[in-house]
Amino acid sequence: MLRMKNVYKSYNGDGYALENINLHISPGEFVFLVGASGAGKSTFIKLIFREISADSGEIFVNGVAKSISDLSAKEVPSLRRLLGIVFQDYRLLPDRTVFENVAFAMRVTEAPKDIISHRVRHVLDLVGLSHKSDSFPNELSGGEQQRVAIARAVVNDPKLIIADEPTGNLDPETAWDIMEIFRQINEHGATVIMATHDENIVNNLNKRVITIENGHIVRDRNRGFYGE
Amino acid sequence: MGNKADSIIYFFNETMRSMWRNGVMTVASVTTAVVSVLILGIFLLLFANSHNIARYLEDSVQITVYMQDDARDDQINIIGSEIAALPGVVKVDTVDKEKAMERFKERLGSNAGILSALDDNPLPYSFDVHVDGPERVTEIIPKIQGMSYVESARYGKDVVEKLFQFTRVLRYGGIAIIILMGMGTLFIIINTIRLTVYARRREIEIMRYVGATDSFIRWPFLLEGIFIGVFGAVISALALTILYSSVIDKIRLALAFIPVLPTWPLMIWIWVALIFVGGIIGVAGSYISLSRFLRV
Repeated sequence: MLRMKNVYKSYNGDGYALENINLHISPGEFVFLVGASGAGKSTFIKLIFREISADSGEIFVNGVAKSISDLSAKEVPSLRRLLGIVFQDYRLLPDRTVFENVAFAMRVTEAPKDIISHRVRHVLDLVGLSHKSDSFPNELSGGEQQRVAIARAVVNDPKLIIADEPTGNLDPETAWDIMEIFRQINEHGATVIMATHDENIVNNLNKRVITIENGHIVRDRNRGFYGE
Repeated sequence: MGNKADSIIYFFNETMRSMWRNGVMTVASVTTAVVSVLILGIFLLLFANSHNIARYLEDSVQITVYMQDDARDDQINIIGSEIAALPGVVKVDTVDKEKAMERFKERLGSNAGILSALDDNPLPYSFDVHVDGPERVTEIIPKIQGMSYVESARYGKDVVEKLFQFTRVLRYGGIAIIILMGMGTLFIIINTIRLTVYARRREIEIMRYVGATDSFIRWPFLLEGIFIGVFGAVISALALTILYSSVIDKIRLALAFIPVLPTWPLMIWIWVALIFVGGIIGVAGSYISLSRFLRV
């Protein structure tokens, strides 16, 4: 699903944010990416959806024949349509309803209107927000906003979901609700890569844990815990 | 097919939504477009009229050819057709002695009575020679003077040369000013639309995360640019039409000797030109403003 080979990334040339990263993630895996702030987690995430490009090395995402660093600007949109991305700060459009926010991600693929509306209803049901479909983001709680963001990420049925600190702004109870949704999405077959420093969540889910420190992968355990 | 239609409807709705929700920016952009297109339109009108005046003045350049008094009518006719055959000569009006006298009487007006003292017509037979441009005059004059039975060929030398310079300045200067005005308008529109785009950079960023292509992101903005440009152009064309017809009415009353162009059909061309320019500038403005936010 995701393969990195000798990946290096530096900002402004002084020191590497990521140095010689090699890894392989299989379809259907649920992977936590842990490490202190500034360890390189966000750089790792950004490399996958080509927000930034690697200095050297190769990154392969399922279904894309080229290393994503070699994609031209024109090819980037089709890469992003294979992925679902969830951010810590939700990134919803404040002037659009829940329904419109989710439909937005399908509109850009120029899908037919009736398919969009059917599919959006389905994913809103999945995240338990069917009853809020006409609300605006500022009328929702943080947890609800994040659920809208997840619905938007999965609406195009991507095989790979990337989440950057999705529970970072939420209280523990709400965080668990969000994790439950991710777990369900993973059970339905999607691969999930999640950067987090929520120790409690990582230790209770018992999934593969990749630890990054100072730009290196220092641990990669199959049924891992936070910090060991 | 259905998908394309859905997308077009979507783009249209997005444009309307954006213009409505960013109401203040939309009003500011349209106002900018109105003012800049209006100034451009005023220059177009001034240019059209000065061009018209220049042509009118050029048309009125003529060479007066006086014939010798002893030339016979058949000789005069031959010379007349020889002059008409010269390259650059557009028209030759024959002014026989009677016609010359009529003109003279006309010019004297109420003093025409003094002519009754004459028992013979002393005015010579002449031709009014119209040429196709003031610059032709100097090359045609010597040819006419070389013909037999020609007493003299005259024209207002200084006037013609100055006029020629003047009309040239009017034309090239007018074109230069219109190009500069167009560029100025584009610059102002780019900056106004850039503010609209900046206000929506978050939205553009999210569109890019979910895999929107650049052209998909661009369309609603381009449509918005066209709407702003065309709408602004229509308002200024309307204002110009009202303004122009009232101004030329005043000029006709006070300065009747200035040949002003009538409102129609001139205004049809002004409308077409301004709407076209407004649309083009709106699209170009949006495109240029957006390029900073795409592909970064």
